[in-house]
Amino acid sequence: MLSSILSVFDTPSFKKNYESISSRLALVMKSGKYTLGYKTVLKTIRSSKAKLILISNNCPPLRKSEIEYYSMLAKVSVHHFSGNNVDLGTACGKFHRVSCLGIIDQGDSDIIKNLPGDQ
Amino acid sequence: MVKFLKPNKAVVLLHGRFAGHKATIVKNYDDGTRERPYGHCLVAGVAKYPSKVIRKDSAKKQAKKSRVKAFIKLVNYTHIMPTRYTLDVDLKDVVSPDALVSRDKKVTACKEVKAKFEERFKTGKNRWFFSKLRF
Repeated sequence: MLSSILSVFDTPSFKKNYESISSRLALVMKSGKYTLGYKTVLKTIRSSKAKLILISNNCPPLRKSEIEYYSMLAKVSVHHFSGNNVDLGTACGKFHRVSCLGIIDQGDSDIIKNLPGDQ
Repeated sequence: MVKFLKPNKAVVLLHGRFAGHKATIVKNYDDGTRERPYGHCLVAGVAKYPSKVIRKDSAKKQAKKSRVKAFIKLVNYTHIMPTRYTLDVDLKDVVSPDALVSRDKKVTACKEVKAKFEERFKTGKNRWFFSKLRF
């Protein structure tokens, strides 16, 4: 039973999505503008600078709803990253945990055009 | 990517004496001023909500229960929670930053805001705005 639940992480579609988000994020880190962390994410949403928000899956539910509500008001897409804050920090190439991040300028990546549509 | 902190937006204050009280944005200062180098806004809100009126109440009692007390405040963006609601009451000429300079100017401005709020409450519109947020 547990193995059938966990096996979703082994399916090709999951791995493909996860890897593509991570690779696109790496490109944004290198060439684009972003902010890490709850306070700055809200700041960028308020000033209508954010184009995409990523939230880790272990973000506290109240905080997650708050960010989703702000993004609904500002019409910014939110992507629920399939991984916890440790994984999101690793995907950003940082050595600390990242619970939420906002992408201001995607640089050479195509993360805004491609990813939210997939899910 | 849409600016949503605009005049007439209904917000809930999160910090301070009026925490949990609803207010409407009158004027934004997105880039701050010299005294307040952060994004903030001038809000006019409900300090004391009108109480529940029942059918038994006499006209005098109904009038007393439908009173609204207003407040005017400059508040940081991080201390408000924006909502999807708006309150279309024209407060621009009534509420201005120089109303906050001296106490008697503030009191007269609050009285005018109170009159506008009461008038709006009596029409029965914006019921969410005039109901107390229970927490």
